[in-house]
Amino acid sequence: MFSAVGQQLAYFAQAVAVSFTPMHIAVVAAATIMGIIVGAVPGLTATMALALLINLTYSMEMGNAIAFLLGVYIGAVMGGCYSAIMINIPGTPSAAATALDGFVLARQGNGGRAVGAGIIASFVGSTISILILLLLTPFVYRVALKFGHWENFLLAVFGIMICGNLSTDSSPIKGWIVGFLGFFTAMIGLDAVYSFPRFTFGSYNMMAGISLIPALIGVFGISEILIVLQDRTPYKIEGRVGKILPDKGILKQILTPAARSGVIGSAIGAIPGAGEDIAAWVAYDVGKRRSKNSKMFGKGSYEGLASAETANNACVGGAMIPLLTLAVPGSPPAAMFLAAIMLHGVKPGPMLAFEQPTFLYQTGTTLFIATVCMLIFGLLLVKPMVSILKVNRKILMPIIVPLTVIGAYAGNVNPFDIFVMFIFGIIGYILRKQDYPMAPLVLGIILGPNADIYFRQALMQGQGSILPLLARPVGAILIIAIVLIVISGARRAKKLAQVNSQGVSENE
Amino acid sequence: MTNYSKKDASDLIMGVFLDIFGIYLTYAGLHMKVFKTFLDGPGFFPFVLGLILLTLGIIMTTVGIRSGGFLYLKENVKGHKMLAFFTHEETVRVLILIAMMAVYIFGLIGRMHFSVATCIYLLATMFYLRSTKWWKIIIISVVASIMISFIFQYFFKIPLP
Repeated sequence: MFSAVGQQLAYFAQAVAVSFTPMHIAVVAAATIMGIIVGAVPGLTATMALALLINLTYSMEMGNAIAFLLGVYIGAVMGGCYSAIMINIPGTPSAAATALDGFVLARQGNGGRAVGAGIIASFVGSTISILILLLLTPFVYRVALKFGHWENFLLAVFGIMICGNLSTDSSPIKGWIVGFLGFFTAMIGLDAVYSFPRFTFGSYNMMAGISLIPALIGVFGISEILIVLQDRTPYKIEGRVGKILPDKGILKQILTPAARSGVIGSAIGAIPGAGEDIAAWVAYDVGKRRSKNSKMFGKGSYEGLASAETANNACVGGAMIPLLTLAVPGSPPAAMFLAAIMLHGVKPGPMLAFEQPTFLYQTGTTLFIATVCMLIFGLLLVKPMVSILKVNRKILMPIIVPLTVIGAYAGNVNPFDIFVMFIFGIIGYILRKQDYPMAPLVLGIILGPNADIYFRQALMQGQGSILPLLARPVGAILIIAIVLIVISGARRAKKLAQVNSQGVSENE
Repeated sequence: MTNYSKKDASDLIMGVFLDIFGIYLTYAGLHMKVFKTFLDGPGFFPFVLGLILLTLGIIMTTVGIRSGGFLYLKENVKGHKMLAFFTHEETVRVLILIAMMAVYIFGLIGRMHFSVATCIYLLATMFYLRSTKWWKIIIISVVASIMISFIFQYFFKIPLP
């Protein structure tokens, strides 16, 4: 026991030595600033920030590339709070709950303080989630190592089902549909066991399968550009920034809700596909219920602002737990991060603890450096960021298109990937307009290949029968969880259908 | 009685699509080559997935029909209403933007230098969107396309399409 702890501490010390070098810190700082800027622009999400800035990592050495991506991730999630507070348009969906109180505070002339409080809350959230990541992940690794083919298959299905259930306000069935369509997308190409071509229609390009990064850039990037440019509504910026650093009274107000939301955000972040926006809303709701000044929520409450903003940043560390241990991303930006690190040769999963034992601690220390950079640069950049928010989206969005093209092409240097990006962009746009969530689709594409192989191997182990597999305890727990998700999803879908039909009747 | 909406129609369309797609997947899975047994063969997972999608499709179709999606389609899939949909300002804008992207990706990239293709795309899109004054659009398009190409090709050493 003590030797195991000592071993982990030694890995941690190694990671600290690698992470706290001037070059590493400089890369993380630059990436965090870029992430903040991209995340602040309305319409550019944290996923989009990773999709766009992944380009810059292709020629980087692996350690720097991963540090860069983590910096972008942390910066972009926080960046959304500038536009949420100053123009009431969340830069990222996860900042939507922040806008409820933040914009009211900005209209009262306290925009600067609100942004300051939001950044400090984000710092608290990230720090708590990093601690949870570092302390909890070694135990999750141990559990993950006990997973066999059957459990891994069930985990993939569980991921799709829970993600489909949580990632949409609409019927959960829509989430499940796109999740399973993601599974189908993953099947295109040569079968991993017999190299038999599936759904390739004789195309050599399709034999290699659908590359993950072009598909993700299409689904999140191109569809987002089309959605933003479709809308002609101009936005008005709240120009009064005022003081930036919150006073002692505000800090006292936000400390408890920030600590609570940090834990909530980390926990929700660890649920496959749940994401930062759900974490923010749940934490905001809990914060409102627990607050003595709950009536102030929505009317310019620093507590409300901190509850939401802490949770969305805490999600980052939480999302890393299933990502590193099970290769299951906790949120859409985590999915993009997973695709990016795989491109750089990192294979997340239980074996990562043996193959690269310092990776977890390097991720944790890098995240912490990024969090400190986010606090410093976030506060320093408040006034320049308000100017950036004035950028005309009709100029910015077309310029992003060539960047997405480079991002899709540069990974494999294959023009077919640009085609994939374009097609997935249009599919993503159509599905999003019909209220289909994108997170399960991405999760399906990521988990699909393993689900296919593990399911077949598990059935071969059971000699064609599912019965011996049902006796496995972890598998049984996962099956029960899937059944419960299906039941709760079906109930929710029924309720929604009733509400919708009542709504239509009342409108008549 | 008009107790139905566009959403019900889109649910119905998705349901029918999934029914057809689920049947296709099940059929394709059953007819894929069997190496040792069907269970470890390449067709097994598509077969199972086809059944799942077919089930979800049947649910969506049923929900769509029950909530009046079919009636909505019957009432709205008519010449003048379809024309109104396709000539709606938002639809037209998105279709034109998609067409411009398609021309850029399939028509321009690879046939000329990336910076020239990008410049043409940016000029056309920004003029269409009336992003700003015409002379600013020209400056922004030229500068942005040169900067993007230069930075990625020479600074980050990334191959351009």
